Amino acid sequence: MRILLVEDETKVSAFVARGLTAERFAVDVAADGQSGLDLARTYHYDLVILDLMLPEMDGSQVLRRIRSQNANVPILILTARDAVSDKIGNFEAGADDYLTKPFAFAELVVRVKALLRRGPVSRSSVVRVGDLELDRLSQQVKRGGKRIDLTSKEYSLLEYLMSNAGRVLSRTMIIEHVWDQSFDGITNIVDVYVRHLRNKVDDAYEHKLIRTVRGVGYSISNGAQS
Amino acid sequence: MNTRSLRFRMTAWYAGLLAGALLVFGISVYLGLERYLYSNLHSTLASQCRTIGTELLPQLPIKGAPWLATEINEDYTPEANSRFIRVVKEGLGVVYLSDAPKNGEFDPSEIPWPSGEKETLRRIRLPGGLELLVDALQFTTPDGSHFVVESGAPYREIEIVLHGLLLTLAVYVPFIVSVAVGGGYWLMRRSLQPIDEITQRAEGITSTNLNERLPVIRTGDELERLSTSLNRMIERLDDAFEHINRFSADASHELRTPLTILQLELEEIIHNHRHNASLTDQVGSALEETHRMSHIVENLLAVSRLDAGEVKMDKAPLDLGELATSTVEQMKLLADEKSITLRSNVGRSVYVEGDRSRLQQVIVNLIDNAIKYTPEGGEVNVSLHRGVNTVVLEVSDNGVGIPRPALPHVFERFYRADKARSRASGGAGLGLSIVKAICTAHGAKVEIFSQEGHGSRLNVELPLLDLPEPDEAGPALGSSKRLRENSSDSA
Repeated sequence: MRILLVEDETKVSAFVARGLTAERFAVDVAADGQSGLDLARTYHYDLVILDLMLPEMDGSQVLRRIRSQNANVPILILTARDAVSDKIGNFEAGADDYLTKPFAFAELVVRVKALLRRGPVSRSSVVRVGDLELDRLSQQVKRGGKRIDLTSKEYSLLEYLMSNAGRVLSRTMIIEHVWDQSFDGITNIVDVYVRHLRNKVDDAYEHKLIRTVRGVGYSISNGAQS
Repeated sequence: MNTRSLRFRMTAWYAGLLAGALLVFGISVYLGLERYLYSNLHSTLASQCRTIGTELLPQLPIKGAPWLATEINEDYTPEANSRFIRVVKEGLGVVYLSDAPKNGEFDPSEIPWPSGEKETLRRIRLPGGLELLVDALQFTTPDGSHFVVESGAPYREIEIVLHGLLLTLAVYVPFIVSVAVGGGYWLMRRSLQPIDEITQRAEGITSTNLNERLPVIRTGDELERLSTSLNRMIERLDDAFEHINRFSADASHELRTPLTILQLELEEIIHNHRHNASLTDQVGSALEETHRMSHIVENLLAVSRLDAGEVKMDKAPLDLGELATSTVEQMKLLADEKSITLRSNVGRSVYVEGDRSRLQQVIVNLIDNAIKYTPEGGEVNVSLHRGVNTVVLEVSDNGVGIPRPALPHVFERFYRADKARSRASGGAGLGLSIVKAICTAHGAKVEIFSQEGHGSRLNVELPLLDLPEPDEAGPALGSSKRLRENSSDSA
């Protein structure tokens, strides 16, 4: 999978490129709008990550030009601009997703993978992490064959964690996915719910599955580090 | 009447000056007239004496005293004109003395003798109080006899005219002054009317409607200049406010890229050293601070944009009751954590027009705030009160409350009533600013009531939306339902 990253802030692009390379993507970096557009025209990319504030050519313009030639390549907008009107304008111009700076790297990876998966999504109905089992169809959760009763929010939270098993999910990501943006930044609602979820999922067991990564977020995994 | 108003003061000055000028004018007219009448009377009296002395006296030796008396009486009719005439021949005595005037105001014989000067003008006060002006002239006839001819008239003649003038002045000066005061007041009011208008409009301009301008009347006068320069000042204020908002927005914006780098940097350290617990813990702590900073930056940007009116509200009719219920439901666990009872007394079908996500943010912020400032075991109540045209969302608690002096500031950015406590609970002091900004964008009013130590109550008053009653949408269903209710009542 080949990704084009158009970002003028070299530190940001270096990190993103390094991180994505570690996730086994091939990454090309362009530092301005014009060279980004040139690369996009010359090579085939599976995904374009595009910053909006670019020298030479504005990101929105690059977006429009790429779209006019290639209707299929997924484009993820990366920006410090978050006015709603900007978002709408860019979605109309053909952006597939939108990520506001500052962002957690994990969030970028989740979104990138989601965009690349977009075609044939094969989501099995049952997800497993260790002896924990979640059935998306019946919305049932079992650990070691024993049923665990969860509230709907707890279920959504666990489902989100398990769908991204092994990956650390930030509070912002969890809030946006499980709750609503309105709750972001104000409450410690995620911590409270994770604690409740732990009570039900982990407390009775020697082997803990839900892990807190301080300053980053939460992840669920079967002990072995990913 | 406001005695300090420009209108009053100008009119008073104007009237005072006019009255002063009229007074000076009156006094000088009075004095001038008095002088004129006095000299006029004097010259009349002198010319009488001279006529008698030069034309009649030389013929006296020939024609005799009776002839003189007849001549003088015919020429001057002293008794009819209230005049006094006396001719005295030196060494012989009175040759002629006029009769007492017909109105009997004085007795000619009572008038004292003149002194021996060549000409004397005397003002004589008679025992009866009457004053006479008497002129005396000495003559020497060709035959060498010396005569003194006296002619006099009551001084009252002058005084009558002067009194008349005084009366006229006393009547007309106040009249003229009062007309001038009335006219002046009216004129001042007319010319100051635009100032009143400008003042009223200027009063109405606050930081939220700085785009409004004062009316400019194109008269080319000072008032036009005043309103245009006030308008320019408002424009500069508008610019300044916009600048401040822009600054907050730009600053937050510019902070994002370095924050991104910092965050990515720290995340990578944690990822690369995930087996070193103490290091990841320290870096994690730093990362938590960058998250907090990001949130402050986000919220500050949000408030600036809301205040600048840059944020488009995605307004649609929504059920505030349903929104409040679901939000309370989602936040129950937060309250449980602190053993706080979170109650809601909210009906359904309370429709308002608003941005669902933003209004939810308002409710979340208010409840979160209430939970933060309420100690364990306390209570937080959420309720809706439907008014005639508005609905009030009320979030109240029995927590620590807010000291009275802090109340007017709670909606200001970064304001904290109790710095130590609120920092510990993690807020950035922007929650209520966001609430206020969102409410303003919805045309809603936010009010806070609080008693220190007894809790706070926050009211958000939103305009109700006039939605057709559900009955109208489905009349059959509605009426049958009502029927059922009625029957159950009667049963």
